[in-house]
Amino acid sequence: MVIGLFSLVGCSESLPDYTLRFGLANAPTNLDPRYATDATSARLNRLLYSRLVDFGEGTIPIPALATWRELSPTHYQFDLQEPRPLFHNGAQLSAYDVKATYDSILNPDTASPHRGILQIIARIDTPTENTVDFFLKQPDALFPGYLVIGILPANLIANGHPFHDHPMGSGPFQFLERPDDTRLIIERRADGQRVEFVRIPDPTVRTLKLLANEIHLVQNDLPPELVTYLSAHEGITLQQRQGANFAYLGFNQLDPVVGQELVRKAIAHAIDREHIIQFVLKGRARVAQALFPPEHWAGPASLPGYTYDPAEAKRLLKEAGFDHDHRPTITYKTSTDPFRLRLATIIQYQLDQVGIDVLIQSHDWGTFYGDIKSGRFQMYSLAWVGVKSPDIFRYAFHSDATPPVGANRGHYADALADRLMTQAEQTLNTQEQQTLYRTLQARLLDTLPYVPLWFEDHYALVSTTFTGYQLSADGNFDGLNQVRWLGSPSAPPKHITRLYP
Amino acid sequence: MTHFLVTRILSAMLAILGVICLVFLLIHLIPGDPVEVMLGESAQPTDKESLRHALGLNLPLHQQWWIYFKGLLHLDLGTSLFSGRAIVDLLIERIPATLYLSLVSLIVAIGLALPLGLVAAVRQHTPLDYGAMGFALFGMSIPNFWMGPLLILVGALWLGWFPVSGQEGWNSVVLPALTLGTAMAAILARMIRSSVLEVLGEDFMRTARAKGLSSTRAVLHHALPNALLPILTLLGLQLGGLLGGAVITETVFAWPGLGLLMIEAIQQRDYPVVQAAVLCISVTYIMVNLLTDLLYAWLDPRIQFTTD
Amino acid sequence: MRLWLPLSIVASWAFLAIFLPLFSLTPDAIDLTNILSPPSLEHWLGHDDLGRPVADRLISGAQTSFFVSLCVVALGVSLGGILGVSSAYLSGWVDAVFVRMVDIMLAFPGLLLAIALAGALGPGIGNVILALGIVGWVGYARLARGQVLALKHADHVLAAQAIGAPPWRIILRHLLPLIMAPLIVEASFGIAGAIIAEAGLSFLGLGVQPPAASWGSMIRDGTRYMLVAPHLVIFPGLTLMAVVLAANMLGDWLRDRLDVKEQSSRRKS
Repeated sequence: MVIGLFSLVGCSESLPDYTLRFGLANAPTNLDPRYATDATSARLNRLLYSRLVDFGEGTIPIPALATWRELSPTHYQFDLQEPRPLFHNGAQLSAYDVKATYDSILNPDTASPHRGILQIIARIDTPTENTVDFFLKQPDALFPGYLVIGILPANLIANGHPFHDHPMGSGPFQFLERPDDTRLIIERRADGQRVEFVRIPDPTVRTLKLLANEIHLVQNDLPPELVTYLSAHEGITLQQRQGANFAYLGFNQLDPVVGQELVRKAIAHAIDREHIIQFVLKGRARVAQALFPPEHWAGPASLPGYTYDPAEAKRLLKEAGFDHDHRPTITYKTSTDPFRLRLATIIQYQLDQVGIDVLIQSHDWGTFYGDIKSGRFQMYSLAWVGVKSPDIFRYAFHSDATPPVGANRGHYADALADRLMTQAEQTLNTQEQQTLYRTLQARLLDTLPYVPLWFEDHYALVSTTFTGYQLSADGNFDGLNQVRWLGSPSAPPKHITRLYP
Repeated sequence: MTHFLVTRILSAMLAILGVICLVFLLIHLIPGDPVEVMLGESAQPTDKESLRHALGLNLPLHQQWWIYFKGLLHLDLGTSLFSGRAIVDLLIERIPATLYLSLVSLIVAIGLALPLGLVAAVRQHTPLDYGAMGFALFGMSIPNFWMGPLLILVGALWLGWFPVSGQEGWNSVVLPALTLGTAMAAILARMIRSSVLEVLGEDFMRTARAKGLSSTRAVLHHALPNALLPILTLLGLQLGGLLGGAVITETVFAWPGLGLLMIEAIQQRDYPVVQAAVLCISVTYIMVNLLTDLLYAWLDPRIQFTTD
Repeated sequence: MRLWLPLSIVASWAFLAIFLPLFSLTPDAIDLTNILSPPSLEHWLGHDDLGRPVADRLISGAQTSFFVSLCVVALGVSLGGILGVSSAYLSGWVDAVFVRMVDIMLAFPGLLLAIALAGALGPGIGNVILALGIVGWVGYARLARGQVLALKHADHVLAAQAIGAPPWRIILRHLLPLIMAPLIVEASFGIAGAIIAEAGLSFLGLGVQPPAASWGSMIRDGTRYMLVAPHLVIFPGLTLMAVVLAANMLGDWLRDRLDVKEQSSRRKS
């Protein structure tokens, strides 16, 4: 009986030892690029699918699958570059697939969260199998930057293929299997190098497994002390880059307490960001004043931020009608990630010091993110990850962009901000656009739909069993395209059955 | 014998029925509106209404119970709110891991407790006895959520003999089974000791010794078999502690069993899954106790008429 | 030795918990400059991951565990005692229903039910007490019932009934004093069990909420920094174990002293 069980359970299928095992804090929630909104899914989808446009230096849109020309302010023509990639089922990607993908997103029945911004598209034409014409309802200089969604094969879209379970794209990696909800295995098409993503929610366990070489790569989401500890360890290398992921406190504007601008300003003054960065994040971050960092083309060069000033915070609270006997109470939602919880406890303490009672509610990542997405919160902390294009402002702050249409989850409504967004989108002059976006960010800092916190650095800890991994600027997993197993630098692994051109 | 069999099985079925009722009521224990708790305070009214319908919470209580019960009869436990999968499938996926861990832990526990308890009983009031019982007291008092991390530190990191966590490879069960088994071994050792002591005091043992049997032989051939019977029943009862402790141990070691499923479901506020996990573990516990009782009755003819 | 060592540990635990407000402790004071600082002469147990003094938090955790275990055991003994005694005394269908109820409660692995209850009720110290109380009363009830059944036909009880004493008087004057000994022994083991159970629930994140301190949540947080700051997991673990060990030893001592047979229904996390 026991022996029987042993062989049944104990000997699960083991992967070849040259498989790179990548420890993730959160499992990707959706491998269908039409639906994916979380960072892990987006990064994984970059490996599985290819897209029309990417971002280059200064976060300016550059050609990926296609080059484009602006034939008129409302007409963009995209030419697919040769050779066009093959989907994992062998079919060649064509203009029809591009059209089908975007048509599907635009179809309200699909209920894609990306539909909001793309609604600007009036019509998509495919004069040849290499050419796609996008006609817009109104001019939008940012338009090419919106076309970053992975392309799906047209025939499978028509069949209602379950992409979330069985992704099918034309990216450098193809989906192999998902044995259970904690593991996902993909294979590099060029040489069969396999990568297994393992969900390990607990950062300690991730650390220990990396130390034991049970996993080979961990990126972000570790307590800073452990990053320092691991980097000193033989057999593990640390890569680090300045990041642009914007961490913030979000608020429900409909709430009687945090709906008040005065209270939010008090909160902004009550949090000692410099100290938190220095002592808790161990310097692996920089203070943020706006959603975009200064090096982004639309980012503000410098903004007068909120300094740490508890006295001012108390004064603002008093002005809002709160005092010692009548303290505001705020429920603060965060994920169960221990480091996020740790930051939340610090913020709770610092807010308590100025006279705000904070109740922390921590939930499993999926539940937490679900709550935030549908607007169920009073205050929460989260980060915008991998945001490139300024259309984020309409998506996150326009009064029309409340869920499910957009991500204005706190129901922020400011007429001036709305106007600035619209003006910026309609301007075709880049210089003018930049000025408008900078004014908008100053306005946001003034009205505080978010209290900006910081931009955390990216870091990757890689086992020396593997080489060639390069940490990318925005923390995506594209470095997996070059990663190699040290054991056999030349000979490809034997198990490859099919080789792709 | 038949009478005992029937009453014992009937009472086990009654207990299962009671467990079903309590587990069913669990969702109604959630203070306030359970739907609101699951979706959050400021959920959209339409979302709330559809979840309420999906869970059948809009019906009168007795009707809800009847639907729940009918579902159980068809092995339909509903669907997970989080993953949208059938809960029965989730359970089937997780049961083998918990079963496997429990069995290995049980072996560890017996393997530790038997020698300890025996030695303590045979050498009563000697340093060996005090040592064994002191160890047992320690084992009872070490919380498994502290012992687990310490074992990981030593066994997985310093020695590198075992995987840190999860279920990978044959040796990954060692550390969780040690964690879970030690606590049980401690209680078991004390029981074995008192049970053997009782037997040692009985007449036939004195006769055996008087006949010149060596004390080792006397203990192994006469005392132990007689002491094992009551231990068997106690073992069944202790399994409850084992199954409860498995929840924490599985969490510490990320062991993909029912306990971890339950904790994850609690964090995800996926109450139908919590209900199902509790139900599954409790029914297992009842069945195991029923089996040990029947085994006991079968092995010991004296039990036949004492049905209470 | 068997009495004084555990007694002194339990007594200092209770003392610290009760007189906590008299010490000027700062268990919640975050000092970012002291994050994970190791034990020193000034702060002899070091600081935790938020720069809070571990010693202060241990004492604050002692209060949590003391308060919870006391409430849980008091709840269990009084509720279980009253139900068990009345059921046995009244007998008949009341007793039959009661026995079934107890059987059903005992059909759950105890800790499992407590975890599920705490999960349903939501985190918080009050809910922990409620969850552990709901699970805990059964043992005392069964014990009390068994004792009363054995004593019910004792001469002095029959005599009291014969002279027409009211039932409550018989229970209070003639039965309760006699069943106190086993209940006290069970309660001292119950304290040990409740301490571990509270810590276990807090370890799972179902107990106290930040920033409040519990030994369980301290151990949970401590395991995250096991590699860089082992003092965070060692001290709360040792403290927890010492108090539980002491409570168990006291239970053993009391049982031998009061000559009570070992109960087999004891549960442990």
